[in-house]
Amino acid sequence: VELNVNGVTHATASPPLTSLLRVLREELSVLSPKVGCQQGACGTCTVLVDGEPRRSCLLPMAAVEGAEITTLEGLGSPPDDLAPVQAAFHSGYAAQCGFCTSGMLIAAHALIEHSGGPVTREDVIEALAGHICRCTGYVKIVDAVIAASRGEAAALEASPGETEEALV
Amino acid sequence: MKAVGARLPRYDGVAHVTGRSVYVDDVRVPGTLAAKALRSPHHHAAVARLDTRKAEQLPGVRSIVTHKDVPKNVYGHLEALGIPADEPLLAQGDVRYRGQPIAAVAAEDEDTALQALDAIEIEYEERPALFDIRKALDPGAPTFHQWGPVYPHFGPHNHRRVRKGDIEWAFDKADAIVSGVYRPQAIEHCPLETQVALVVPEPDGRLTIYSCTQAMYFSLGVVAAHLELPLNRLKFVGGTVGGGFGGKVDTASETICALMARKARRPVKWRWTREEEFLVSSTRAPWHVEIDDAVTADGWILGRRTLTLHDSGAYARFSPYGLTKHAFHHTGAYTIPNLRFDGFVVFTNRVPTTAMRGFGVTSVSLAVELHMTRLAEVLGISPWELRLKNANRIGDTTANMVAMQDPSTVPVTLAAAERVGETLAPEYLAMTPDRRTGELLPEHLVAQQAPEGVHVLLNGGGPG
Repeated sequence: VELNVNGVTHATASPPLTSLLRVLREELSVLSPKVGCQQGACGTCTVLVDGEPRRSCLLPMAAVEGAEITTLEGLGSPPDDLAPVQAAFHSGYAAQCGFCTSGMLIAAHALIEHSGGPVTREDVIEALAGHICRCTGYVKIVDAVIAASRGEAAALEASPGETEEALV
Repeated sequence: MKAVGARLPRYDGVAHVTGRSVYVDDVRVPGTLAAKALRSPHHHAAVARLDTRKAEQLPGVRSIVTHKDVPKNVYGHLEALGIPADEPLLAQGDVRYRGQPIAAVAAEDEDTALQALDAIEIEYEERPALFDIRKALDPGAPTFHQWGPVYPHFGPHNHRRVRKGDIEWAFDKADAIVSGVYRPQAIEHCPLETQVALVVPEPDGRLTIYSCTQAMYFSLGVVAAHLELPLNRLKFVGGTVGGGFGGKVDTASETICALMARKARRPVKWRWTREEEFLVSSTRAPWHVEIDDAVTADGWILGRRTLTLHDSGAYARFSPYGLTKHAFHHTGAYTIPNLRFDGFVVFTNRVPTTAMRGFGVTSVSLAVELHMTRLAEVLGISPWELRLKNANRIGDTTANMVAMQDPSTVPVTLAAAERVGETLAPEYLAMTPDRRTGELLPEHLVAQQAPEGVHVLLNGGGPG
């Protein structure tokens, strides 16, 4: 099965019923989609399939042949050029342990792309409904997505190295 | 002081939002084997027969471990604090909770490891199980723990005790006695990242252990103790944890993984399934808390009797420590001069319980705050004023006789009242955390008070 991931085409060898998540992580070492439940319940394995957020743990390879897959690695180009939603999550402290963050960002990015402009709190809650954060940081996450949709993500602050020096 | 009050970027913030944070499951080491555990299907049973020979012969199986492979199988999480050991790393002779690990397999892939589990021959003799902590001390209750129904090592007692002041005096003097029973239940931490460990045998004979633990040096000690290795043979790599909330304090996966890696001389990764995380990983404990308060008609709490049962599950782990914290916090944010507290760590055939966000304290705080509201209802006085009147003040002493230096009950309660628009009488609005004087220092609170500059009362707090 041929798979286009973040603009690069890969020939994959796994059987057609292998999950997309497994192929991304174990065959291609694309590691931002996480293994959270492998039951479609937690959202942390979410990737874009032709622009739509999908649970990669439930998608067999046979269903995504020829599709364009975008993972968190395909948004922005760090460290200087983050997508607006990434910058908003960083400056708004919307990532705590970080394990749900990949899926949250992918779903939020798709929401903002589709809306083309500011989104409401209700829009965000609906778009992220299937994404679980057990650090319970939902308020900051929702705020960050709204800020990103309005182009209001705060500028990145000093890098940790600079900060440590400044604190001496 | 440039950091205090400043908005500092998280050191791992950019890595988190770009997907570059490396969690244990993201570490790639060539030749890594996959691990699975044979777990008890019974809540309580004798292991009558265990034979791994057929499983070992399967192609692709690289190591199988049982209790026979563990240099020191029984090791207590709190041995360093003098709390004796009771829990085997891998079950030996009997199983005491459903999901208890008995054997573990490392194989070339997960499917092969699962086939090997099926090929392990095991026979059980099922035994009656106990799930209700209230029935543990009944005659004829199922028995399974070598120490009996409760953890017996609180000094000379089989339970944690607090004795302060004169409890008989308080109940004799009371205008009313208000009782309540509170039963906070088990909660699964459910971190998004399940338990996971990767152990790599290095050419120099050391083990590199990639761990999701919340407690690196503690886990280092646990693994070293089970394996009977000096600490310098183990290198722990951690710090990036996909959620823990207390559920990754117990060293759940590293030690068994290390055993298999040593035996196979190959890297071994063990990542629990979501089902294992829910059914087998430790939970916050269920508790049973009975409170009887001796109160006056005008809202002073003269004394409190408390009976607590703490569901430890099948082994002690950290529960004696959690119960001790519970005991020391059992007056909540309030000052009660006469106390009698008895708390038991009770064994059941449930998954062993552990820390979760305020170990032992959240359970008693729930009970105390519900009970404070109940007192106010029974006495017909404002729950705000009841709390402010009995609030901890500078110089008041806790259940374990530590003198308050900077108690926050009064300012926090006043701030909360303001936020919700509660109107309080002027004498309550004027309250501060300062030492009790005048009407706020009735005779019964004099003896519990520590003199200025004293941090702990060693034998104070008589009737007053």
